[in-house]
Amino acid sequence: MSVLAQTRQDALNLFEKLGLPTQRDEDWKYTDASRLKDLLQPTPTDANIHIKDMGITGLDAYRMVFINGLFAEAESNLPEGVSILSLAELEKNSVGEDAEGIAKLFTVDTQAPLLNGFNAFNAAKASDGAVIILADNAILTKPLYILHISNQSNVVRHSFMIGKHAEAQVIEHFISTDDTKALSNTCSFVALKAEARLEHTRIQQEGSKQSHVARVQVKQCKGSSYQFHGVEIGGILSRTDLVVNLHGEGASCDLNGLFVLGGRQHVDHHTRIDHKAPHCTSRELYRTVLDGRSHGVFNGKVMVHEDAIKTDSNMSNGNILLSKHAEIDTKPELEIYNDDVKCAHGATIGQLDDKQLFYLRSRGISAETAQELLTFAFADEVLVAMSNQTVRSYVEKAAFAKLPHSDDLEEMLGS
Amino acid sequence: MLEVKDLHVSVEGKKILKGLSLTINAGEVHAIMGPNGAGKSTLSNVIAGRDGYEITSGTITYKGDDLLEMSPEERAWAGVFLAFQYPVEIPGVNNTYLLKAGVNAKRKHQGLEELDAFDFMKTVKEKAKLVELDPSFLSRSVNEGFSGGEKKRNEIFQMAVLDPALALLDETDSGLDIDALRIVAGGVNKLRSKDKAIVMITHYQRLLDYIEPDFVHVLADGVIQKTGDKSLAVALEEHGYDWVKENK
Repeated sequence: MSVLAQTRQDALNLFEKLGLPTQRDEDWKYTDASRLKDLLQPTPTDANIHIKDMGITGLDAYRMVFINGLFAEAESNLPEGVSILSLAELEKNSVGEDAEGIAKLFTVDTQAPLLNGFNAFNAAKASDGAVIILADNAILTKPLYILHISNQSNVVRHSFMIGKHAEAQVIEHFISTDDTKALSNTCSFVALKAEARLEHTRIQQEGSKQSHVARVQVKQCKGSSYQFHGVEIGGILSRTDLVVNLHGEGASCDLNGLFVLGGRQHVDHHTRIDHKAPHCTSRELYRTVLDGRSHGVFNGKVMVHEDAIKTDSNMSNGNILLSKHAEIDTKPELEIYNDDVKCAHGATIGQLDDKQLFYLRSRGISAETAQELLTFAFADEVLVAMSNQTVRSYVEKAAFAKLPHSDDLEEMLGS
Repeated sequence: MLEVKDLHVSVEGKKILKGLSLTINAGEVHAIMGPNGAGKSTLSNVIAGRDGYEITSGTITYKGDDLLEMSPEERAWAGVFLAFQYPVEIPGVNNTYLLKAGVNAKRKHQGLEELDAFDFMKTVKEKAKLVELDPSFLSRSVNEGFSGGEKKRNEIFQMAVLDPALALLDETDSGLDIDALRIVAGGVNKLRSKDKAIVMITHYQRLLDYIEPDFVHVLADGVIQKTGDKSLAVALEEHGYDWVKENK
């Protein structure tokens, strides 16, 4: 068996050992993975999907399209002189020493926090993915827009390796063509070398019966900077494990999350930040707006290790429940193993601010519109950090359309 | 225009207004002065329609209608405006669009067409000039990061754009330096007209040097203790509120 095939087999063995998480597992207490058991197996066929006008239109970006987990080269537009490759192609063409390098892309780090059976399954069964290798000092002049379109279960695996002083912006967008019951199992591995910068957006906007399980694992070297925007609008059940390792001195991460949910949608984000080196900074802002019988789960854990002196960490989670049947379970956690740190965390669950409501109404805005407007403004604050305005407007519109009375509001939204 | 009759108001069981009566006609400027805790802000909040005030007896009639039956937005549509003592910051809500929505909601209520964007912006720029508001404030979130003085100026700017019939200015002068006070007062004076009324709530006579009132009322212990002309404010400044109580 080749080294690559062996690695895949090891991952499958690991999956069989781990199985799917259960609600007895503390990290999966609120999310029922057993619902996804029958949806695991990918069926990657080109399902005759016409992708014209799908996704974010008018975005000035390089483009990589995956249809049911397979790279659709004809629909893509990639820059010259930069290595942005298909994982499946790499795997197919790998020989000798190359194969060992490529095998590493499928290796499961069993010591990583929040590792679960889905992640092992992903390594075993991934059909394709994007492999970005950005050389030292290279700057990707336009964002890379990775559009995932599906109507079946699919397994994709991305690796973004950003060289020293290199810079990139990557937008992952997940959509469905219909309301098929299916599962997207995705992993994105990010490695940032010294002083590298990545802005990474994930927009989960899949069909109303689709489920989504994701792992985003980031390792940051000295002085590197990682910014994450996670947007959850679609799907029925969505779980993301976001794991950031601040490994080199002076690295910084900025994690933003927004859920706008209704109906019976269930979204769970577990984030874990490990401060392992001195002088690192982490910022985390998660907000949820929950309507109907939707259920949000946020668990944010920051671990400050012994050597990580001068750590500066701030986490905040705000939640608005628009319906008495909606539910949020939030748990910010902080574990600190040295004295020389500045850390803060907090969570709020609540209704809108009475003073703000009255102010708007006293200016002639109806009570209903004022509520909508404040809800939107609350959610939109998470998006302020997003540098790409086309993406931000797209997300605003999509999120906004989910609020109950959005008719008169569109014009009022500040830029 | 506004007729407050024997108004009794409690907040969390505590009696604040204890039989206050006040008549305000179109074209008049009134000043309501009084010590802290006299009920000045309670009066303005009750007129604007804020929750949390229990009206135990009395009436407020505005242009012949029962004001207390109206929601805050209905009062705004009918021409009532409150310039807040502490304007709240609303991150994410754009200042100009807030006004546009307010103006158009009012016009809709009056059976008028919505203003088109061009006409609206023209008005907005004119009025911003009136209170010397930096145009960059127009595109910012409502009051977010504004200094105390800028917030007050923004209130008067909003008042100018919304063009109310009855304007209540709740301690608009507090926190303003003398230059800002002059500008704000200038803005208010330009809005005076025979079909509008202005009610200024203030601690100090200072504001009245710039906006000359027709009537000065002293509010203490939940009722109007004394009513006079501008000279009453001067006497107050000299002798203090106790003097009023002693010389009712």
